[in-house]
Amino acid sequence: MERFLNFLFIGLGNGAIYAMLGLGLVVIYRSTGLLNFAQGEMAMFTTFIVWSLSDAGLPLWLALIGGMAAGFVIGAVVHQVIVRPVGDPHQKPLAVVIVTIGMFLGFNALAKLIWGNEQQSLGNLFGRGEIDILGTAVAWQKLGALLILAIEAIIFWVIFQRTKIGLAMRSVASNPESSALCGVPVTRILMIGWGLAAALGAVGGTFTAPTSAVDANLMQLPLIFAFAAITLGGFDSFVGAVVGGLLIGILTDVVPRYVDIFEKMPLAPAFLLILVVLLVRPEGIFGQKKVTRV
Amino acid sequence: MSTASEPIAGTSAPLAPQPPVAKAGRNWLSIGTFGVFAIILIVLPQVLNAFWTGRVTGWIPIAIAALGLNLLTGYNGQISVGHGALYGLGAYATALVINEWAWSFPLAIVFSAIVCFGAGVLIGLPALRIKGLYLALVTLAVATLFPQVLEQFSDTTGGSTGLGVTSPELYRGRIRDRSIKFEAPEWTGLASDQWRYYFFLVVAAICFLLVRNIVNSRAGRSIIAIRDNETAAEVSGVNVARAKVFTFGLSSALAGVGGSLLALYLARVSSGSFTLTTSLYFLVAVVIGGAQSIAGPAIGAVFIGVFNDVITPDLPEAWKPASPLILGALLIILMLVAPGGVAGLIRQFTGRMRTRKLVNSAINNPSSGGTT
Repeated sequence: MERFLNFLFIGLGNGAIYAMLGLGLVVIYRSTGLLNFAQGEMAMFTTFIVWSLSDAGLPLWLALIGGMAAGFVIGAVVHQVIVRPVGDPHQKPLAVVIVTIGMFLGFNALAKLIWGNEQQSLGNLFGRGEIDILGTAVAWQKLGALLILAIEAIIFWVIFQRTKIGLAMRSVASNPESSALCGVPVTRILMIGWGLAAALGAVGGTFTAPTSAVDANLMQLPLIFAFAAITLGGFDSFVGAVVGGLLIGILTDVVPRYVDIFEKMPLAPAFLLILVVLLVRPEGIFGQKKVTRV
Repeated sequence: MSTASEPIAGTSAPLAPQPPVAKAGRNWLSIGTFGVFAIILIVLPQVLNAFWTGRVTGWIPIAIAALGLNLLTGYNGQISVGHGALYGLGAYATALVINEWAWSFPLAIVFSAIVCFGAGVLIGLPALRIKGLYLALVTLAVATLFPQVLEQFSDTTGGSTGLGVTSPELYRGRIRDRSIKFEAPEWTGLASDQWRYYFFLVVAAICFLLVRNIVNSRAGRSIIAIRDNETAAEVSGVNVARAKVFTFGLSSALAGVGGSLLALYLARVSSGSFTLTTSLYFLVAVVIGGAQSIAGPAIGAVFIGVFNDVITPDLPEAWKPASPLILGALLIILMLVAPGGVAGLIRQFTGRMRTRKLVNSAINNPSSGGTT
């Protein structure tokens, strides 16, 4: 039981990271209808910025804020320069996939060019301390990840449901042309959406970094888990991203410890889940069904 | 050139019967280009030294796998980011039958193709319900999962250390395994690397011819119709489900043939050869070469080969990542500027030339025109 609880908390802590990345994916999906395959690499890139700032002597918290700011700018620029000119993802899914894959390769290579191939290490945002919960030691870092996730989710909910920008974002997501006619600055709104998503990536990356090492492959696996999370929760649902992320975290950390065949492939249970969800309920648990006209 | 423009002079209306005329002109042009390229490909190993012949041989598996991906993504509109896994499956299938049962190379290639066809059909069935971005997502997961599966079953697959592709040999009275080799028959007088190159070239030629004929057939037209509008295709009597699953199977079989050749080429299979990056490079090859064209994947494979084998090794260590950076940037720029890739650009250019020629002949022979 204690062993199980231990794995469970590790899973929840990692799940929080997937949920953070998932939130970023959902923001972009909701505003542009696009699955951003480069989200993980952008997060890795901003994590490197966080590392550089902290390496230069800044406290980790400040470095993280700096990384988020840089992420916001990168996201906004990427949208303006690369994503927007390609056109509507619903019309040309292939073109958009190709472009985000180009970004994937580009960011990965750029990080290697700038920071080299060495692995760097980044400290814990919440220190190395542990706390006793139900007889098992849980790292503050894991609880901190959950806390930050909760804050992020609340901020997002408030932005989207209670502010004018959020209203504009929702209107752009549902119908960009009508919104433009109503005076919503569509491009600027989408830019903000991309900026927010990239800023979230910096947080997710900073939490991932202490569990592995900061290198160009940092976020590739977490991204796949984040995709699994939003598939499960629904591509357009913030609640779905959070719940899905935590579930995937538990699934990928607990199942492989008990089922031998998944020992070295934690991705397999998540993959099976993605497949089943897409086949049985493509809109996910919390997602809305899309009705399209032919 | 005169043969191409002759029919134009003979017709009374230069612009009205354009399609057949344009086709005739294009045929001469494309037969000519094809001939030139065929001669280059055949002469290549005679000109290059053993090292470069080997390198160029290594581009052929990529070209075949990209050809398969192009059939699926370019012609049929199903996005796969997971062809690296099928490529890997083909490679391991070949390694298995050669190591365990000492099958001949051609048989091993056919075996890989059949295994991957089956795997492709298995993936293609759920893909009937999962479309567009979601299919890209699932295949992305397949690509990431594949190396993990290899690690999990490292007892059989060798994991990241890999597995040698070997054949038994009698050595000082004992049987031992040695890496497979391509030995040219006596009568050819070819070196082993040249023989290997021609062997690969023949396999590639068969694959490209096969895809060309399929695309130009009834089956090909239904494959393309599905991409353009699935509902309309269905209404017109295309069996959408069958065509899509068949395309997925065939595309996977081609990826398998590519993988099989890779296993024969390296004489070793390891999980490092079949990562997500491999899958992404196939997409890069298709897009750069030109989706929806037969020669596109080959052009793309040469592009990737040149970047990986010619440009990168000469760069200083710190600048080596510049290659994927340029490829990534190129991918984005091409999508924005020339979605047809290199083949599309060539087609555009020759199309413009042809129009100019038609216009010129109409101006020069006003007596033969005028009815329009």
